[in-house]
Amino acid sequence: MREITLSQAVNEAIAEEMRRDETVFLMGEDVAEAGTPFKVLSGLVEEFGTQRVIDTPIAEPGFVGLAVGAAMTGARPIVDLMFGDFLYLVMDQLCNQAAKQHYMSGGKLTVPMVLRTNLGATRRSAAQHSQSLQALVAHIPGLKVAMPSSAYEAKGLMKTAIRDNNPVVIFEDKLMYQDKAPVPEEEFLIPFGEANVKREGSDITFIATSSMVQVAEKAAEMLAADGISAEVIDPRTIVPLDEATLIESVKKTSRAIVIDEGHQSYGVTSEIASRLNEKAFYHLDAPVLRMGAMDVPVPFSPALEDITVPTPEGVAENARKLCAGDMIHAA
Amino acid sequence: MQRDVTMPQLGMAQDAGKIVSWLKAPGDAVAKGDALFEVETDKATMEVEAQAAGFLTGVSASEGEDVPVGAVIARISDSAEDDTPAQTAAAPAAEAPADDLPDGHSVTMPQLGMAQDTGLLVGWLKSPGDAVAATDVLFEVETDKSTMEVEAGRDGYLAATLAQAGEEVPVGGPVAVISEAAPANPVARSVAKAAAAPAAEPVPTRPQPTPEPSRTAQPAAPQPAGGRILASPKARRLALEQGLDLARLAKAGYPQPYHVRDLDTLRSLPAAASAAEVGTASRRLVAEVPEDGLPGFTAWAAGAHGLSDADAILAALAACSMPVPGPVAVERQGQTKTYALPAGRGLSDAMETDDAPALILRDLRGSRLTSVEMGGEATPALTLTPKGDGLTLTLECAPSEMDAADAIQLLSDFAGRVEQPLRHLL
Repeated sequence: MREITLSQAVNEAIAEEMRRDETVFLMGEDVAEAGTPFKVLSGLVEEFGTQRVIDTPIAEPGFVGLAVGAAMTGARPIVDLMFGDFLYLVMDQLCNQAAKQHYMSGGKLTVPMVLRTNLGATRRSAAQHSQSLQALVAHIPGLKVAMPSSAYEAKGLMKTAIRDNNPVVIFEDKLMYQDKAPVPEEEFLIPFGEANVKREGSDITFIATSSMVQVAEKAAEMLAADGISAEVIDPRTIVPLDEATLIESVKKTSRAIVIDEGHQSYGVTSEIASRLNEKAFYHLDAPVLRMGAMDVPVPFSPALEDITVPTPEGVAENARKLCAGDMIHAA
Repeated sequence: MQRDVTMPQLGMAQDAGKIVSWLKAPGDAVAKGDALFEVETDKATMEVEAQAAGFLTGVSASEGEDVPVGAVIARISDSAEDDTPAQTAAAPAAEAPADDLPDGHSVTMPQLGMAQDTGLLVGWLKSPGDAVAATDVLFEVETDKSTMEVEAGRDGYLAATLAQAGEEVPVGGPVAVISEAAPANPVARSVAKAAAAPAAEPVPTRPQPTPEPSRTAQPAAPQPAGGRILASPKARRLALEQGLDLARLAKAGYPQPYHVRDLDTLRSLPAAASAAEVGTASRRLVAEVPEDGLPGFTAWAAGAHGLSDADAILAALAACSMPVPGPVAVERQGQTKTYALPAGRGLSDAMETDDAPALILRDLRGSRLTSVEMGGEATPALTLTPKGDGLTLTLECAPSEMDAADAIQLLSDFAGRVEQPLRHLL
């Protein structure tokens, strides 16, 4: 199978859907002429023109609000939010308006919009351009949250998001845009709420999102050398969450570590760990461990930034402790 | 119905309380909870409430008077006309409880309020064996009203703790024993255990020389308060489904918390009768020796007499302790060797034999086990487990195999020989 970058995969997904459905359009800062700072959308304006690929002013609340209105009135907008950190600017448009229109209108209105944005630290972009804010969005009923872990997921999830009649926020890891993965040339969609078992194992389950899937896979590789068999599961969407697959895996392995790059406290890891505690309690042989980013603003100093996020070594070390039956007091 | 009104004990070091004032007059109708009088101790002044409704009668102590703790100073009667004076009862003597506790002065659960029947022991601030001063805080007590620190009341050593954190102790009930001399064997037990002990104690009499009731033979592994066993949810569920008792792992000294793989260990423990059955099906005697004299003795025997087989010496010492000497099997780390000591011969004459042993000597000195309860086996078993510099010796046998007197003699003699093997030669 051919291999393409995550960047190309997103581009392909949007182009295919724009060809398929002329109500799909794209807007955001620097999406047309520049093709985004990460060059993800290069070439789209040439094919679809400036009517469907729209450069907006630097005014996030304005153009996201505009997208909500367009979606309510029949279009299928894809809004590009250059950095996930800018989500704070569009909280009202996203959480109060987009998330609630279907409910407030008694089902008469739908908001089929996609908000594409990113997450991920260790790019030396400092505290205001490095955050992973998926937990903020996942907390709000009415919003779906997809977190692709490779080019394959990026394409399949984007196409599903565009066809979904609800607001969907897609978080791409900004460090993965150049990572290649096999992606079929023929059309495919990845349904929401279907986790992907990336690696089968019997001793411990790693549930990881986005780039943390790679971290978990590397940790599993290290542990295999020690004779510990780790299963790696990528939920792919955290809303909706494929609980059944996660619980089934934990029932098999009896142990779990949940890894996500958002801040650990009150985060995605906490939510998933809680569900496992509630629904797989009598199958647990060890506490479910959370591994998120340190609860600090992401440092600019490379030396400091690198220690704030989960690493394969850290995951492997915690896994060894859990498998050995050591008491875990703090992760 | 009449109820006595007594002087409450408001602090451990308090012998008497001074009646500051009466808040009700003789003949007054009182409701339960009404303040009857004010008491002053060296620490505080406190109102004492009526514990029943009725009429205050028979007031026998006046304001300003010092009254011994526990003395009856009035009565709550059904009629205001009841004027027989209240009996002045002596304060309940705080005696050290009988049985096998160290000698000393008993510290009791104080009465912190008139309507209080029990106190919840919140926690110990001293450990058994600690030296304590009179003003040292021994433990904390919680009532429905407050939490209070209780002092030792006298200088000495905390020789015994008779309740564990989290347990309710009746007012006046013993909580600790303070001894004058450092206790040889500080005792730690719980209210529940103390109550259950007589039934769970199959030992007819205590073996010499330093007897230890088997209920104190607890593993050294950290025990969670309240006796709850720490185990993973899965281990707990599987144990339940498969009818396995995690408490047996704890008893055998395996460190907690338990996980699924510990269930394999649990399954491999010798099938033991349940605790209730042990009482009728087997004898279990425990002795402790403060010093293990065996290593020195075997080294000496090897150097001075060329007796290189330490197991043979061990078997011979045990054989000599038996009322009717017979073959002794020495079992260590899965290896078993059986020795016979011909009648009337010395230690050096123990020979390996293929005969069935009359006694199994299970040497766990090199292990981390601190206590065993194997239950009935086909042959009497004597187990050596480490305890500090010394040893714990546990003899288990069926009543049909050995009568009580023989069992006591065997364990006592063997304990003496282990402590001072040279004594055997004298």
